[in-house]
Amino acid sequence: MRRQQRVKLGDAVPFIAFVVIFLFFAVASRGKMFSSYNLMLLVDQSMVTILLGCGMLFVVAQGSIDLSVGVNLALSGVAATYAANIAGAWAFIPTAMLVGAIVGVFNGVVVSKGKVSSFMLTISMLIGVRGIVNFIQESLMKTTGNGSQKLPDSLLPLGSNTLRAPVFIVIVLVMAYLFEFTKLGRYGKAIGENERSAGNVGVPVTLMKILAFGISGLLAGVGGVFTVSKYGATNQTMGQFMEMQVAMAIFLGGVLVTGGAGAKIYKVVLGSLSITLIVNGLAIIGKSDSDISQTVEGILLLAILFITILVNSRATRRRASRKATVDGISGADSADAELAGFRIDKGENET
Amino acid sequence: MGNNKKNLTTAVAFAAALAAALVIFNVVSGGKFLARENFTVVVSHIVYPAFTAWGLSFLFACGYTDMSVGGVVVLAAFASTVFGNLYGYPGVIIAGVVVGTLLIFINFNIFAYTKIPSWIASISLAMIYEATGFYLKTSNATKSLVTTALNRDYRVLGQLPWSAVLLAAGFAAAYIVYNRTTVGLNIRAIGGNTEVSRAMGVNVNRTLLWVGLISGLFIGFAAVVQISYSGLMTVKTGLTSMSMIFQPLAIVLLAQIMKKRVNIIIAIPVCSLIIYSIFNLLTILHVPSGTLQEACLGAFLIIFGVMGRRGGREVVK
Amino acid sequence: MRGDIILEIRGLNKSFGPTAANRNIDFTLERGEIHGLIGENGSGKSTLISQIAGLYGSDSGTMALNGAPYVPRSPLEANAKRVSMVMQELGVVASLPAGVNVFLGRTKEFSKFGIVSLKALNRAAEEQFEKWELPKVDLHALADGMMIETRKMIELVRAMAVDPEILILDEITQSLSYNNRNKLYELLKKFKAMGRSAVVITHDVEELIEITDRITVLRDGAVAGVLDSVNTTADEVKRLMVGREISGEYYRSDSEPSFDETRTVLSARGLTVEGEVRDVSFDVHAGEILGFCGISDSGIHTVGRALYGLEKLTSGRVLLEGRELKSPTCALRSNMAYVPKDRDNDALMMGASIWENFALPSVTELTGKAFFISPRRLRALARKMTEKMSVKCRDIFQTMTDLSGGNKQKVNLGRWLAKDIKLLILDCPTRGVDVGVKAYIYSLMKDAKAEGIATILISDELTEVLGMSDRLCVMKDGVLKAIIPRGDEFTEHSLIKVMV
Repeated sequence: MRRQQRVKLGDAVPFIAFVVIFLFFAVASRGKMFSSYNLMLLVDQSMVTILLGCGMLFVVAQGSIDLSVGVNLALSGVAATYAANIAGAWAFIPTAMLVGAIVGVFNGVVVSKGKVSSFMLTISMLIGVRGIVNFIQESLMKTTGNGSQKLPDSLLPLGSNTLRAPVFIVIVLVMAYLFEFTKLGRYGKAIGENERSAGNVGVPVTLMKILAFGISGLLAGVGGVFTVSKYGATNQTMGQFMEMQVAMAIFLGGVLVTGGAGAKIYKVVLGSLSITLIVNGLAIIGKSDSDISQTVEGILLLAILFITILVNSRATRRRASRKATVDGISGADSADAELAGFRIDKGENET
Repeated sequence: MGNNKKNLTTAVAFAAALAAALVIFNVVSGGKFLARENFTVVVSHIVYPAFTAWGLSFLFACGYTDMSVGGVVVLAAFASTVFGNLYGYPGVIIAGVVVGTLLIFINFNIFAYTKIPSWIASISLAMIYEATGFYLKTSNATKSLVTTALNRDYRVLGQLPWSAVLLAAGFAAAYIVYNRTTVGLNIRAIGGNTEVSRAMGVNVNRTLLWVGLISGLFIGFAAVVQISYSGLMTVKTGLTSMSMIFQPLAIVLLAQIMKKRVNIIIAIPVCSLIIYSIFNLLTILHVPSGTLQEACLGAFLIIFGVMGRRGGREVVK
Repeated sequence: MRGDIILEIRGLNKSFGPTAANRNIDFTLERGEIHGLIGENGSGKSTLISQIAGLYGSDSGTMALNGAPYVPRSPLEANAKRVSMVMQELGVVASLPAGVNVFLGRTKEFSKFGIVSLKALNRAAEEQFEKWELPKVDLHALADGMMIETRKMIELVRAMAVDPEILILDEITQSLSYNNRNKLYELLKKFKAMGRSAVVITHDVEELIEITDRITVLRDGAVAGVLDSVNTTADEVKRLMVGREISGEYYRSDSEPSFDETRTVLSARGLTVEGEVRDVSFDVHAGEILGFCGISDSGIHTVGRALYGLEKLTSGRVLLEGRELKSPTCALRSNMAYVPKDRDNDALMMGASIWENFALPSVTELTGKAFFISPRRLRALARKMTEKMSVKCRDIFQTMTDLSGGNKQKVNLGRWLAKDIKLLILDCPTRGVDVGVKAYIYSLMKDAKAEGIATILISDELTEVLGMSDRLCVMKDGVLKAIIPRGDEFTEHSLIKVMV
């Protein structure tokens, strides 16, 4: 009697994309891709993307987006290093997580209470917070003569992979648990599917949004810890473009831009590996120039979004034709003018 | 009719508030703000954001966002420089406007046909345009062409009084198209309610193409103004070109808040003046640009965004 | 003043997939005739007028206008043949001024050298308002801030501006106030005197008999009968609509209230929502079905939302068994249930699977230690309910959009009945479902009543609230006018006296 969910075409696309990308670079790099050194590098490079992606997934599942994770990572990294140097090494990790979470919660409050589109808000944060980060770095430059700050020596062991890897795995597992097996994920997906209906059932939409952005921010803070400890110091370009890399990873993994039930942690991991493969692969075959990689990424993002939308809309179109059998006759009859009036109320400029 | 009177009152109140704001700015800056030299700079600086904002307002009117405008402006400005240095004014204007219009038109077709949400599609396009610009700047074949500044003789459109003339012409064009043409009214109709528009005989697809063209023209001109003012365009990768759109974006958001009282086309140059004045003031007050000014811009965007949404009941993602 | 036939329809068929929306429809419209069209939800009346207005094509059959073949492929073509329609759901463009809305799509007619003269356009619009003696609208103002009624007027003028030979009105009166309704009747009289014809749809049988010359009754996509309005009665029309005598086991058979008056489940005290409802107070008891009725804009739907915490209260309180409810989340935890009116947009997650929809309200109950929610348990619950409610589907992983309206509604109700609820708020629960599912929903309500669940039934259909309620709250303009107990006064007639 029990039948498992069928594998949908839409779910297969990201796997196919991953395999194609993998094979392409495997051939193009003449196997250099598989050197143990490079495989280690791959894992290392994708770590932060996966971390931020796991956080951002909570936001994306609700149909929103958080483009502030890159600057948030930079801000929390810079602030935490500063704290570590002033107050002592113990302050490093708590400060990073606190700053990250504060920025995230702020995003969540403005999006849910202020009704601003998350894209608009987080892109404003992208520019505003980057300004603050640059200001801090420049002020430091004036006092110390050096824009980057070093981590205290006692914290340098944080950069070793023997410590990073298990921590990373634990975090991803915790996120997977929260996302797949708690209210947080379930309600989040419900909001992505239909925010009005979720609210009408009694899902605390505002709280869920704040929590989702909060988690996204918190993980950006963790990303800050990972990034700073890896290099042992902060730098000017920290977190730059990271938000796009993470967003690309999520969409490349097959999560819909509109969020909903299709959001899964494994898709984030898969997408992150794909995007890292591209960056790493281009470097190996000697095309690491930023213009080439950025063009490839841009085209790929367009293509993958187009394919996911195409695959999904074909499914909906099939449904829609069947739907007309019912709603074409009854729905049109019974829906009332009052509702139509509300629908007109939709703002002129949905952005 | 009482309507005109009400409009007049609004207009007078609006102008008075604006004048008061400028005077206050002047006092805060210790008389530097309204000094002739400074104010000339302010006026010639609002032309680019105003044109870009007009272009954006047409896109917004039918529910699209385009974050690749910065990248488009970069490429159009390159074209302007190269062809301007070769053929003089016709080169400056035609090349810039054609490239700008063409790219926005392409964007618009991509938004309309792929059904990818425009914000994310336009970010992908911004990546591509930016990288193209960067390639042109670094590649040996084109390097010398695009890194040569536009000849000083061909930069008159970026200076007063010509930039002011251009602003006035742009305003007239935008106002008429938005309020007094079938295309403009249809664009607004589609943005308001596509279904009704279609049922009333508006050709939605053709109108959407028009939107691409009109926005493109404004953004093309914006590029021409920008290159005429600065003479040289630089580009970096990493979505840095997006920063070129934030000021115009703040302007459109602010103009939208006033939408119910003031026609958005009129509000745009006024808001440009306000926003640019604020940044000018910050500069006069020695607030460092690139750092804290950016932070202010981000804050403005958020505040305007929240204010524009106040009272709205619909679901926002 | 009636004369020759202006529109003649013969053997019209239209199917959507396997379902026949229209079967062999014959329909004639005479010159100078006001023709009523009535039928239950899903009877095919909207499909028929959509075909006349050029929104849908036909599978077979013919239409003839003034004797010539008439095959409109779009509303525009229909307009060109001077057939226009005010659609129930369409509305106006909020971002444009009222005047432009009247001539949207035709603005070219007012342009010279590509520039539209708003002056000429507004003058023309004003002339239309004057010609048909409709209340003036500020033509310069954006439609954005206008009331639904005003917008409806703009739509009406938009249709009249075509100078139609045939005017089709789909459920327009329900959003009009009493005096504007009278203005519309005047307009129709004038229209008729000019020798023009109109097709009018309304759910209000009495109104229909009053204003029309003839009535075509549709049932299950076919014509059930054509009646002369002068010689018919509301009962006859209804009998034709339903196809048998109403009453019987469909609704409740008892004629007296029966519930436990000592056990108050929910009390509303002075409920006020800005601009919607004012000072509404009542109690619901265990095992009681409390009905709410009123014409549109009476605030009945807002009361339902407010009870579940979905409206911001300007004043007043909602108490569930003495405890005050603050938010929908609180209502969910307190085992209340709310079934909104707009099933597809406000209630269900259409893109998600059946099991996810079934599970959503029960997520809190099924949360275990360490916040753990077992997907297996959620699915088990969904499986159980799918079987219990006999939802017709392939499996619980099927997407909601695949289901028929009735089955969607079963999920919509069933997801609440899976819980141990105390209070059930139903807003138009039988909207857009067929007769079989309707009867099933009524039987579920009777079961819930027997179990001691308090039910609030909000409905636009008077027969439904009359048939099911123990007591009936009648609302008008946001105010609770009367609470009538089941008994002798339980008639449509006495309700309408309070409602209008």
